[in-house]
Amino acid sequence: MTTAPPLVRVNAVKKHYPVTKGLILQRTIGQVKAVDGISFEIPEGQTYSLVGESGCGKTTTSRMILMVEPPTEGEVYFEGQSIQNFSGADQKNFRASVQAVFQDPWSSLNPRVKVNSIISEPITAHRRATKQEIKSEVNELLSVVGLHPLHGDRYPHEFSGGQRQRIAIARALSSRPKLIVLDEPVSALDVSIRAQILNLLKGLQKQYNLSFLLIAHNLATVRYMSHKVGVMYLGKIVEEAEPGALFTNPMHPYTKALISASLPAHPRRQREEIVLTGEVPSPLNPPSGCSFHPRCPFVMDICPTQDPDYREAEPGHKVSCHLYT
Amino acid sequence: MQEEPILKVENLQTYFFTTSGMIKAVDDISFSLWPGETLGIVGESGSGKSMTAWSILGLVPKPAGRIVGGRILYRGENLLEKSASQMREIRGRHICMVMQDPLTSLNPVFTVGDQIIETLKIDSSRTSGGHRERAVELLSSVQIPAPESRMEGFQHQMSGGMRQRVVGAIAISRSPQILIADEPTTSLDATIQLQYLKMLKDIQTQTGAAIIFITHDFGIVARMCDRVAVMYAGKMVEQAQVLQLFDSPAHPYTEALLKSVPDLDVDVDFLPSIEGQPPTLDDLPEGCAFAPRCPYVFEKCEEYPDEFTVEPEHTARCWRLGGAVV
Repeated sequence: MTTAPPLVRVNAVKKHYPVTKGLILQRTIGQVKAVDGISFEIPEGQTYSLVGESGCGKTTTSRMILMVEPPTEGEVYFEGQSIQNFSGADQKNFRASVQAVFQDPWSSLNPRVKVNSIISEPITAHRRATKQEIKSEVNELLSVVGLHPLHGDRYPHEFSGGQRQRIAIARALSSRPKLIVLDEPVSALDVSIRAQILNLLKGLQKQYNLSFLLIAHNLATVRYMSHKVGVMYLGKIVEEAEPGALFTNPMHPYTKALISASLPAHPRRQREEIVLTGEVPSPLNPPSGCSFHPRCPFVMDICPTQDPDYREAEPGHKVSCHLYT
Repeated sequence: MQEEPILKVENLQTYFFTTSGMIKAVDDISFSLWPGETLGIVGESGSGKSMTAWSILGLVPKPAGRIVGGRILYRGENLLEKSASQMREIRGRHICMVMQDPLTSLNPVFTVGDQIIETLKIDSSRTSGGHRERAVELLSSVQIPAPESRMEGFQHQMSGGMRQRVVGAIAISRSPQILIADEPTTSLDATIQLQYLKMLKDIQTQTGAAIIFITHDFGIVARMCDRVAVMYAGKMVEQAQVLQLFDSPAHPYTEALLKSVPDLDVDVDFLPSIEGQPPTLDDLPEGCAFAPRCPYVFEKCEEYPDEFTVEPEHTARCWRLGGAVV
């Protein structure tokens, strides 16, 4: 097996937001540790998923990879190069190579612009192309995502949710990206449409050798889409494995709780309940030691004092928990 | 079941009259709800599931929306013949709506205690001291720690799970017989959602209320419900006990929908999806509304399908069940 460098490598990245007090003399009174030292890789042509509850840092992580925000510490590498050092032409190239599709296709498309222009905007921004080339490329993109070229002359409000998400995907594809960040791409869509969009995305991944960073909280969707899954809790990845291993043999107690809370696909397959006590603590003041210890049903003496190492417990299955050290 | 259904909806038709034409939001649906049971009404946006709930509560948006036909019998009395003030009495005391999203259903400028007492005040047989006592009792019955001091708290001082329980306390404050739980399409975190579902189950065991879940999620049905009704484009296409529906769905729409949902417990390489879009209600096909997307469609589908009984307590509206064509 050849090990080509991964398309994206996230190395010990932190994002801390200062909390200030006072109007004139702004004193920093604390740090919100939105992302607190995470590392993972997204290989070419594969899907890496981040799961976890609201506020765990999934979206902040994706914003750093999209170069919307710089990390406080650590580096994000794209094709082996640190994206923080990109400027000028490199940066422009990078921005064409990473695109995003968001949850809500009602607010992510400009209502005053025709679909043709929505899709062609990234083309004109990143490349020289004649009008004829743009036109044929837009038409091709429309048919790639399952729409008709005539749809290009309409406005977003004339489409249903699923069709709008197709438009958003066509726009993301138009700059010929290598990585697409999918932030809850189907959770705002009707149930009967979700499978269509998921299958479309899977097909496009094969066709263009795309990498996806998928952020979702429906674990079944994640299992269907991913090659690797990272479970986040309070700004850290607490477990990472291939979806089959993660969902049939979860190790971290938090992963187990997340799985037990997800709804069954059949009434005969009710899940064993793992009830977590308390609420997710504030990232402003995370608990000492393992940040999950106040809610963990398997808490031990060592947990409040020492942060567990993030280590490979089984081949390809990493976990950060004292139960496995 | 020998007893009488607590709620019986017969041929309900809720239409909207707009400048661009008539929209049949709920079209000729019938179902029963038995005391203490949990019924799921499943459908996509625009299927009419929420409008069914609003029709039962007498809250159809006026003047565009009107109930043009059918009956809604609560303990044998037709709710459609009640006056506005009688309906107000029924909402809250008999039939009550619980919203899933606790962030938007509590008022941020009143204390939690005030909001519970407000619903109790409708019942004038108690003194104000009695109201307070009852409110504290309600808070402790939904397992809120230190209910006395929480009475003076505001919603922003509470966690999401706690707010949900306050909403639950308000819902059961007047011991309704029927709870209608309407769920927004955007989902909550799994752990928060599970807490909410468990709270409703607790309430049900305590009060014996019947629950109607309005949802798009078959997972909720699998987890919570005894019986289920599937809606598509304003019509009820299938009704069954939960196990019957999951084991042997009779309507092609239900069958396709169940297959298109990813499963957390097994690896699937390809999900069979339903092609096409749900129809818009102002442009419905003459016969079966699912026909344009149905893999089994045949000539008969141009007619509106009858309701066929597949097995006891399991009915579906599809011509394939009529034995005409296999």
